[in-house]
Amino acid sequence: MEENIREKGKEREEVRDEELLQLVLFRLGDEEFGVNILQAREIEKLDQGLTRVPKAPPFVEGVINLRGEIIPIVDLRKRFGLTLPPLGYDSRVIIVEVRGAPVGMLVDAVVEIIRIPVSAVEPPPPITKGVDAQYLAGVAKVGDRLIVLLNLDKALSPEESQELAEAELGDA
Amino acid sequence: MEISDYLRVFMDECQEHLQSLNSALLELESHPGNAEILNSIFRSAHTVKGASATMGFNKMASVTHAMEDILGLLRRGDLEVTPEIINLLFDAVDVLEVLARGIPEGREADIEITGILQRLKEYSSSEQKTPTAKDRRRKLDLRYTKEEKEQIKERLTETKKLYHIHVFLKEDCLLKGARAFMILREVENMGEIAKTIPSAKELEDEQFRFDFIIGLLSEEPVEKVVAAIEKVLDVEKVEGTAVSIDEIPDERRGYGDFVLQEKKEADEPAQSRLGTTSLTVRVDIRKLDELMNLVAELVINRGRLEQISSELQNRELEESVETLNRLLLRLQDDVLQTRMVAVEHVFSRFPRLVRDLTRRAGKQVDLVITGADTELDRTVIDEIGDPLVHIIRNALDHGIEAPEERRAVGKPETGRLEVNAYQAGNQVIITVSDDGKGIDREKVARVALNKGYITEEKLAEMSEEEIINLLFLPGFSTSEKVTDVSGRGVGMDVVRERITALGGTVRVTSQRGEGTTVTIQLPLTLAIIQTLMIEVGSEIYAIPTTLVEQTISVNRNEIHRLHQQEVTTWRGEVLPLVRLQDVLEVEDAKNLEYDELDVVIVRNGERRLGCVVDTLLRPQDVVIKSLGDYLGSIPGIAGATILGDGRVALILDLRNVA
Repeated sequence: MEENIREKGKEREEVRDEELLQLVLFRLGDEEFGVNILQAREIEKLDQGLTRVPKAPPFVEGVINLRGEIIPIVDLRKRFGLTLPPLGYDSRVIIVEVRGAPVGMLVDAVVEIIRIPVSAVEPPPPITKGVDAQYLAGVAKVGDRLIVLLNLDKALSPEESQELAEAELGDA
Repeated sequence: MEISDYLRVFMDECQEHLQSLNSALLELESHPGNAEILNSIFRSAHTVKGASATMGFNKMASVTHAMEDILGLLRRGDLEVTPEIINLLFDAVDVLEVLARGIPEGREADIEITGILQRLKEYSSSEQKTPTAKDRRRKLDLRYTKEEKEQIKERLTETKKLYHIHVFLKEDCLLKGARAFMILREVENMGEIAKTIPSAKELEDEQFRFDFIIGLLSEEPVEKVVAAIEKVLDVEKVEGTAVSIDEIPDERRGYGDFVLQEKKEADEPAQSRLGTTSLTVRVDIRKLDELMNLVAELVINRGRLEQISSELQNRELEESVETLNRLLLRLQDDVLQTRMVAVEHVFSRFPRLVRDLTRRAGKQVDLVITGADTELDRTVIDEIGDPLVHIIRNALDHGIEAPEERRAVGKPETGRLEVNAYQAGNQVIITVSDDGKGIDREKVARVALNKGYITEEKLAEMSEEEIINLLFLPGFSTSEKVTDVSGRGVGMDVVRERITALGGTVRVTSQRGEGTTVTIQLPLTLAIIQTLMIEVGSEIYAIPTTLVEQTISVNRNEIHRLHQQEVTTWRGEVLPLVRLQDVLEVEDAKNLEYDELDVVIVRNGERRLGCVVDTLLRPQDVVIKSLGDYLGSIPGIAGATILGDGRVALILDLRNVA
């Protein structure tokens, strides 16, 4: 990954004039998603016990203790209603800040950190890779890869979560 | 320091001075002739004026300036202390409070003050100002009484001379008190301070404009003294002159601060002067919160260390962990201590409140406050004010009767309202009692029935106290009829809610015709609470011990079913039971297979509920952490805490489960 970053560094030199966006790329199943690195605080392995919270929204897996801070963990796959195999060895928690509060996003794997030109980002189609457009900030084509950018404020906001939880309950 | 920091310091000081203005005015009302009280009022007003002008809050400065004019007249006896003047000054302080509240929102400049200014000025301009007094205020002058002169003369020698050092600080100097203190210290190194004007105490308390005079007995040349003072920060100008004691006119009464006399009597004058200034530091409460969090972290890590040390069985390691343990306990105590504030901060506004309310209602009430020095965590102090005001308001509005009514039932015309605080274990108890007409239990019961809060059968079983405490039911008090007749109940549900949120309890006792007592129980601190750790399935939870009435063991044969609800009998009463796994959605609970069940009885006011757990683990002090906005509003969960092994355990609030 380090090499990758260095390479991307060179790329950056070449396109210096253009405004760049630095992204943390991660996988949910086989699909690649990205969040702005400015919103990501750190990436952790989920090697400690997760404490389940009764009556929490279904996509909240529980809470963890991160150096004394209690952080809720959201399973993005449940959040987006994706049906995927259970988490494996590569799974990670990306701690992001949403409206000043830390939230951990559970992902299948963190792939790499890349820089893309802002101009490569386009508005999202109504549904991308099974994810509703309201949770997305845009899509970016990088080579032959299609990266979906998350709108964290929407994807992780507690109010939205509430609505979704109710909707899911309604469906059931 | 950034400007916002200055603003915070200013706001803090402003609040303090407004508070002391209020209490001093109350005192002045009962002792109109007392010059000392007048002086303290004057000083407070003066400080607020100076500080607000410096910070650019001109309206505040104008009001205090106008107040100062009147106070000046009062001090000189050109104006008499009358009830009208006192009321006027109270009104002015009220306006200042409104202005102060407007400052953080940036509204200070929008608040209308012409009314109060006009009223203040009517008084001050109707009187003739004596020019001499005015001059004195403008121009400082250091004089001595005959006795003082004698003592100075005794100390003068060939080489020791008397200097008058007139120090001017920069007008934008923000820490005048500290600067003055530094200057006095500097000067003390070079000689003996005979007297200062204003007094050293006033200087340290910033009770001066921008200049002051020091009378110094020194063997050093005056230039050297002046040069030393000029080095102090924020000094604008220093004028030092050698003076002949005989040329100074006599001072008729004590003015300024003559310190030589003290020196003669006590051998450690510098120290005794220092002793009058308390050495305190203002600290942002958030810093203390942070400190508390760090201590909590340490406590958690200590748990881990203890575990490792017991596994390794290394003697030296065990000893040092033990030492760490002791130090940590002391640190925790000290940090908790620094957060403690006397309840006086809240109580001090009650005299004014009682005065205003009783005047309006035409009642006579003696307010007796005891235990104002009892300490509580700062966060609790901030929250407890409004509920207490509410309770006092109720007692005055509806509890204590009008004088005629009291006379008719053979009570003294002046009612009595007692506010008392004391510490009991790790709780603080605050009681508010009045000797008013008490609460009409029948009325309360009737309303509760009419509103459908309770059934006839249930009512028949209730104790007298339980009936009175129906007042706390939400929505109970909105009925006009109840508030008129029984007196209590205006927003008592809100009071209970606020106090419960602080982890406290509130309860009312009342004797018809004799009075009412509201008792509030509060935890000393919010940050650390005592809990009972329990296990359900593979999960561990903490239950605050304040909610736990008792833990009991129940055999499955003693459990019966009553309309789908498991119950048992306890102390001759029916105790509803709930299996915690049902409430907490735990799937691997084992207590259904047990013969002997561990039950935690939690109390919610008068209702009790038995919570069936798998295992009772241990009592443990835990540090409360918030679950954050994301999960904060889950019913039944009060927060979280971190266990010794780093795992998170949830803190349960089981009061509303049943």
